[in-house]
Amino acid sequence: MTLAGTDERLHPMTQTDLPVAQETLSQMMDSMVPAGADDADLYLEQGTSESLALEEGRVKHVSATAHQGIGARVIKGEVSGHAYTDRLESPALMDCARAARAIAESGNRDHSVSIHSDQPQHQLYQSANPALTVSMPERKALLEKLDRLARSIDPRVKQVFANVSASFSSIHLIRMDGSHLHDARPLVRLNISVVVEQNNKRETGSAGGGGRFDLTHLLQGDEAVRLTHEAVRLALLNLDAIAAPAGPMPVVLGPGWPGVLLHEAIGHGLEGDFNRKGSSAFSGRMGERVAAPGVTVVDDGSILERRGSLNMDDEGTPTRCTTLIEDGILTGYMQDRQNARLMGVEPTGNGRRESYAHPVLPRMTNTFMLAGNDDPKEIIKSLDRGLYAVNFGGGQVDITSGKFVFTTSEAYLVENGEIKAPVKGATLIGNGPDVMTRVSMIGNDLKLDPGVGTCGKAGQSVPVGVGQPTLRIDEMVVGGTEA
Amino acid sequence: MSQNDMNRIAIRLVEQARKSGAIDADALAVNDIGESISIRNGQVESVEREDSQGIGLRAFVETDEGLAFASASSSDLSDNGIKALTEQVIAMAKISAADPNAMPPSGAEHPSDSELAEWKNSHPLNESWTLEAAREAALACEEEALEYSDQIQNSEGSDAGFGSTHVVYASADGFCGQYQKSSLGLSVSVIAGSGGNMQRDYAYSRVRDPEKLKSPELIGREAAERAINRLGSKSIDTRQTTVIFEPRMATSILGHLIGAINGRSVLQQRSFLADADDKLIFPDFFQLADDPNHPDGLGNRLFDGEGSRCKPHTIIESGRLTGFLTDRYAAARLHCKPTGHARRGLTGDTSIGTSNLILQPGEVTPEAILHEIGDGLLVTEMMGSGVNGVTGDYSRGAAGFLIENGKISHPVNEITIAGNLKEMFANISHLGSDLTWFGSTAVPSIAISDMTIAGQS
Repeated sequence: MTLAGTDERLHPMTQTDLPVAQETLSQMMDSMVPAGADDADLYLEQGTSESLALEEGRVKHVSATAHQGIGARVIKGEVSGHAYTDRLESPALMDCARAARAIAESGNRDHSVSIHSDQPQHQLYQSANPALTVSMPERKALLEKLDRLARSIDPRVKQVFANVSASFSSIHLIRMDGSHLHDARPLVRLNISVVVEQNNKRETGSAGGGGRFDLTHLLQGDEAVRLTHEAVRLALLNLDAIAAPAGPMPVVLGPGWPGVLLHEAIGHGLEGDFNRKGSSAFSGRMGERVAAPGVTVVDDGSILERRGSLNMDDEGTPTRCTTLIEDGILTGYMQDRQNARLMGVEPTGNGRRESYAHPVLPRMTNTFMLAGNDDPKEIIKSLDRGLYAVNFGGGQVDITSGKFVFTTSEAYLVENGEIKAPVKGATLIGNGPDVMTRVSMIGNDLKLDPGVGTCGKAGQSVPVGVGQPTLRIDEMVVGGTEA
Repeated sequence: MSQNDMNRIAIRLVEQARKSGAIDADALAVNDIGESISIRNGQVESVEREDSQGIGLRAFVETDEGLAFASASSSDLSDNGIKALTEQVIAMAKISAADPNAMPPSGAEHPSDSELAEWKNSHPLNESWTLEAAREAALACEEEALEYSDQIQNSEGSDAGFGSTHVVYASADGFCGQYQKSSLGLSVSVIAGSGGNMQRDYAYSRVRDPEKLKSPELIGREAAERAINRLGSKSIDTRQTTVIFEPRMATSILGHLIGAINGRSVLQQRSFLADADDKLIFPDFFQLADDPNHPDGLGNRLFDGEGSRCKPHTIIESGRLTGFLTDRYAAARLHCKPTGHARRGLTGDTSIGTSNLILQPGEVTPEAILHEIGDGLLVTEMMGSGVNGVTGDYSRGAAGFLIENGKISHPVNEITIAGNLKEMFANISHLGSDLTWFGSTAVPSIAISDMTIAGQS
């Protein structure tokens, strides 16, 4: 799959064929699955990633990684055995299979499996390496153009950092019944950040975007130019930012990326493993009111070309739209196969792993709140005194106590319904099970984030999406310095 | 992969790169192996075995405008894999932009052969833990936590594991150095309370020497006590007060400092301490050192990411910043001597990082600090990443205990603590005598006055 005009030496690994003989895989499966196993799979992954980064006006950092490996997994009840290796040859492969079954003493199954091809249900993105259509010299030239653009927008721009990355991962999943599913996953990302300086005061601003599509999509339209303007605008805005207020107040959140609120406040708390184990503040609350009327939140891994989308999850379950909260009532958890089986429900296509070298966990895909009926302008006008937060950095949650935080990167004081001065970055803190009951207005402007989210859980990072319409929350604690 | 194989592959990568047109190059070969076990409610939940290897090459080529470089990594160690990786890196380096300040790897001050041999003898691998021993320890640890009190109502499980990393580094000036590291760890996380009043906390121990691992019982008890002490947490009023960071939390304060005195961040003007070279930034009792060879540290290293020999280094001397932390690139541009703080992964340029950070403890116990400050907040957990490295503005979620009249009054959560790191550093009022190791950082309790707490009203 090499396109005319690209230098083949630059992309040594873009194959998507099965890298291990079918016969070897069925031998592994036979030797690792004990009698009475509930589930087992082999997860073969081959991936590449390329990155170009600019600083001080030069694309000085050009790098690439290639990885391949296999994860072998056996599940019996609540117990799982997991082994992995990056040596795709015997005897390493058979050692790996034997290590995975170390959890179960009992004998082997009395039949062997034959491997047969199956098809994932969706085709949500291209199955070609997204790096192949825009050459490295073209990517380099584009980053240099963005550097010049950023500096031309405002003379206070002193430093520009820009990077573009493209990765491609080919997954072969062999399930216990011998079915063989393949998914090839492209992922691209562009990031710009700048440092501005005025009267010896420095500030920074950044913007980014991406998704599961071709690099042309990201680099050859107006998107890269728009992101550059956005990074400069944010940095200059922060130069004038005043200290953020400290204490409880009403907060209006803008549409799109501020949906990180949902991801932290309720998303993690609705992952199947925490609820099966009773460690989530939402455990046992199915069917109860956990949010204000009008609040409907879904997790949807089946949206075309989104960063959090997958044709199938990492256990071969088709992704889908799962309603987590419907009109304020808790209606669903996100499940992988093991937790779904133990809780007696269907898997929802949320079983994900960072790579072959990580265990599967129930994880979010694209998590967002559906639109309401309110005019966003009216929502801001409704604030007597409060905070209007448009952009955020990351967040975090303690799923057991329910407490969560997220940190603003663009926010304004609002007085008498009017947007006033920008304020410095501040952490907002709240309680997951309460905060959504305080939603009093929901905008008609649902927006998904630009494709920049990465979620961490148990040391594993996976790409995710978030989104929401403009929202008014009647009270949250704002963690500034201005008491 | 045997050590000889690793050495051979790393040297081969460098030689191939030179033959293919690189003017300079360095390479890494890394092998990680490990086993771990998770148990929950007295049953094994999962067993995991890791075995991975990787190679990375960085090559410099000459262009009309100076030296340019690129890097790549792979897990394909075959002859074809090595050849493909080399060709890829050279082709990418020819696309990369030249840097007039480029710092090729050859010529670093390497450790001698006798130092390499001596290091190997003084850092034996620990092979005494088995999966069975790990299982026993995890079971004992969780059992202790669950039986500590009726208030402990659920477990998130106990994990135990061990592993080792073997790293070989070779550069075109003929240096080939290697080191091995092993560690083992035990942790447990439990939940006190139930329903809408649940609190979770954890405890762990991670060490090189199995003899130094905290006992499973001690870890279990610590996790249980911590979770129980948090029951009944409530918010407090917004106020200005002194915040005491227990050692576990104080490590992050050092992390923010190290990020800000990173020579590369300083060059990029991305640091709030860019103008702080040789300036007093802490009170005069603040002494911070980096020790690359400490019996309790997990960050020991003989040479850094570009093969430079590591030496003990005083970072803060009587409150004064002695200089920025550098690799050879940053040192050349900042016109100072390299401090041996290069870090390097399989892919990418060198970055900057410390080995073992040790903050000199004070003479007062944490209890005495509470007594001296009278009113304040003891922080035992923080959330989020609300720190702006360019301005030093700081705002994070927190939980802990309200201090009134020198004593713990009640547990607190759903609050934020805020300030500016530059002021926070200057406002350190006390360092405790309770020096504690967390992996590669040893730190006591730190008290900082005049921080803003935002709470319920």
